[in-house]
Amino acid sequence: MKKLLKHISPLAPDDSGACSVLYELGSIVVICDAGGCAGNVCGFDEPRWFEKKSALFSAGLRDMDAILGRDDRLVEKLAKVCSQIDAKFTAVIGTPVPAVIATDLKALKRMSEQKTGLPCITVASTGTHYYDKGEEAAYLALFTEFAKEKLPVRHGKVGVIGATPLNTGLTKADRIIAELSKKYNEVVCFGMDSGLDEIIKASECEKNIVISSSGIRAAEYLKEKFGTEYEFDFPCIPENVLKKIETLTGKNVLVIHQQVAANVLGEKIKGCQVDRASWFDINDSIGKNDIHIKDEDDFSEKSKNYDVIIGDISFKKIGFKGEYIDFPHFAVSGRTFADK
Amino acid sequence: MTDAFYITAKELANGGLDNMPDELISSRHMIYSSPATLDFNSPGAKGFGVKRAGLAIPGSVMLLVAPACCGRNTALLNELGYSERFFYLLLDDTDIVTGRHLTKIPKVVKELCDELDYTPSAVMICITCVDALLGTDMDRVCRKCEETAGVPTVPAYMYALTREKRLPPMAAVRKSVYMLLEPQKRKSNECNILGHFAPLFDDCEIYELLATAGIKKIHELSRCKTFEEYSELSRANFNIIVNSEARYAAQDMEKRLGIPFIELVRLYRIDKVHNQYKLLGQAIGAELDDGKYYEETTEIIEKFKNKYGALTFAIGECVNADSFELALALTEYGFKVTEIYGTVGERNFVFVKRLAELSPETKIFSNLSPTMLNYRRTEKINAVIGNDALYYHPELKGIDFNDEIQPFGYQAVKLLFKRLDERLEKEI
Repeated sequence: MKKLLKHISPLAPDDSGACSVLYELGSIVVICDAGGCAGNVCGFDEPRWFEKKSALFSAGLRDMDAILGRDDRLVEKLAKVCSQIDAKFTAVIGTPVPAVIATDLKALKRMSEQKTGLPCITVASTGTHYYDKGEEAAYLALFTEFAKEKLPVRHGKVGVIGATPLNTGLTKADRIIAELSKKYNEVVCFGMDSGLDEIIKASECEKNIVISSSGIRAAEYLKEKFGTEYEFDFPCIPENVLKKIETLTGKNVLVIHQQVAANVLGEKIKGCQVDRASWFDINDSIGKNDIHIKDEDDFSEKSKNYDVIIGDISFKKIGFKGEYIDFPHFAVSGRTFADK
Repeated sequence: MTDAFYITAKELANGGLDNMPDELISSRHMIYSSPATLDFNSPGAKGFGVKRAGLAIPGSVMLLVAPACCGRNTALLNELGYSERFFYLLLDDTDIVTGRHLTKIPKVVKELCDELDYTPSAVMICITCVDALLGTDMDRVCRKCEETAGVPTVPAYMYALTREKRLPPMAAVRKSVYMLLEPQKRKSNECNILGHFAPLFDDCEIYELLATAGIKKIHELSRCKTFEEYSELSRANFNIIVNSEARYAAQDMEKRLGIPFIELVRLYRIDKVHNQYKLLGQAIGAELDDGKYYEETTEIIEKFKNKYGALTFAIGECVNADSFELALALTEYGFKVTEIYGTVGERNFVFVKRLAELSPETKIFSNLSPTMLNYRRTEKINAVIGNDALYYHPELKGIDFNDEIQPFGYQAVKLLFKRLDERLEKEI
């Protein structure tokens, strides 16, 4: 049966992705839900919740708020929290509840900006899509709202788009920065160990490094707006995975991850027939002929063609008899590389 | 940036229940899903939320029918051995708009039952806010599932939207897990304890006291290993509720199975514990002699007091107690409680009023207030009680006192002081 999960738990949803992008930017983020979605984000999909404080709240919607569409009450509550917590902007993240009642997020943005005096961005996530869709929308909203000014380009400065725990399994940017600093003078990971100022100054970057498909639309926007070129890379593949692929020869290998990570790792595997796959969005500009996996049945069918799978260990439970190399993906199993 | 909001017990009591400040009323502000209180805001994040609780029937499995976001953190339960009992039917936008998922559910239930190498005792269908808004008639869908798959199917409603309603999710799921009980001849020397999804501690005196009253068998859902044992629950002569969230389930059992119920409260003031046992004895027509337990507990409290003096505590709400009743108990025993992180309501306002008389300056915070993001300690505190209190004061000695196995009666009081003693004796 399509969309039936018998072996794995649901993968990270779009609202988690949106929150992940905005987490460290000094905003007041409101998850427009009854409480459960915020609990999923804070208690599971956001490992920084226990390390770095962030003004991430649940709107605490109740049935009558949903039935009557009481957006004014939501805005009142948002204004109240703005008077209690210092913030540079506000953000409203959609969930299944506003999706079902067709909340007008554009109107909510205007009402919020009027009431609080702070810029507001909204992400129309619905909880039915995967995290990369939410990240994509949040990155685009963020750069569109704040990266407006064309500043002089700083030679050797690169911006990284897609550095979230869900993509990388990392809660700090140091590993990515250390790796990219071998090639560039200055590295900034947008939204991880850097604040809103770096988003505002995005045009300073000579180049952007996109480490997940969720960053493509934002990178395209920056290219169009400021002429900033971008390229794909995933500079944080775990060492143990890199060591294990050295032993592979003459095998049919399938690498499963988010598409950029799968492609970067795939290119490092020598002497094998390598295909790349993802349960998440597939974009031809990252890799042609990459495989999209729709559900467990699809995985079972497609995995039959391979001797080796490299991917999050959770997928192994669906049923694969060959060699399996664990390449953790936080958006799948909720494990950071540190857990590993 | 404003400091964390608090109100003193005296101010709160003087204002009365009808004049509580907005910061103590969760519907009037954004909700801070503090790491301290995740389990409150996210049923399922910790402890027994709807999803885990719904699997209390031995041999049952659960099908969560929802958008992916609702089932995401269920992965946490895999570590507790539930991975083979959870299945998910993910909803997409078209499902939500057309409601077509409802026709899929019976087929999915059949597919699951056919593929499992055992026949589940029941399939719990867990639905969420989406179906609450769509007005899904899940009873009807469950009947269809039973026809198709031949397995009892029960709805479990994880409707976070209705948390403050007459039937909040955790009360509704308590009803759901007893729904498969069939009427049978009742046995006069058996009773059930209802309320939690884990049993009371084995050394709780209630077992011995009931035994002296002629009760030969005390059933608890969480101690049932098989569906046959579960089925025995309906032959109890009466139900004892030890958590008010089970009241609705007990009312339903009274109506359907003819089992009356008696409601008890977990208390930490031992004179009240004594009164409660006296009333329980009267209700079941027996004299419960709790003198021995009363004296033992009194002695333990005295010993603790003599050893540590008049300690100052902070008490949270992620604890096996009503934080305000516990604060009142500690205050009456001669200790000081400077801060409480809790939720005030009709149920516990009576404790606030009494506390206001004995300790008017005790500060009351709301864990859910966004201002708790700015919480800083300003009071001298010797020890803390509760998971949330430990989060706010990681450098202080304290106990979480939030076990899944439930303390009750004198045993709860004894365990509290034993744990505190053990913790305070340690250097770090």
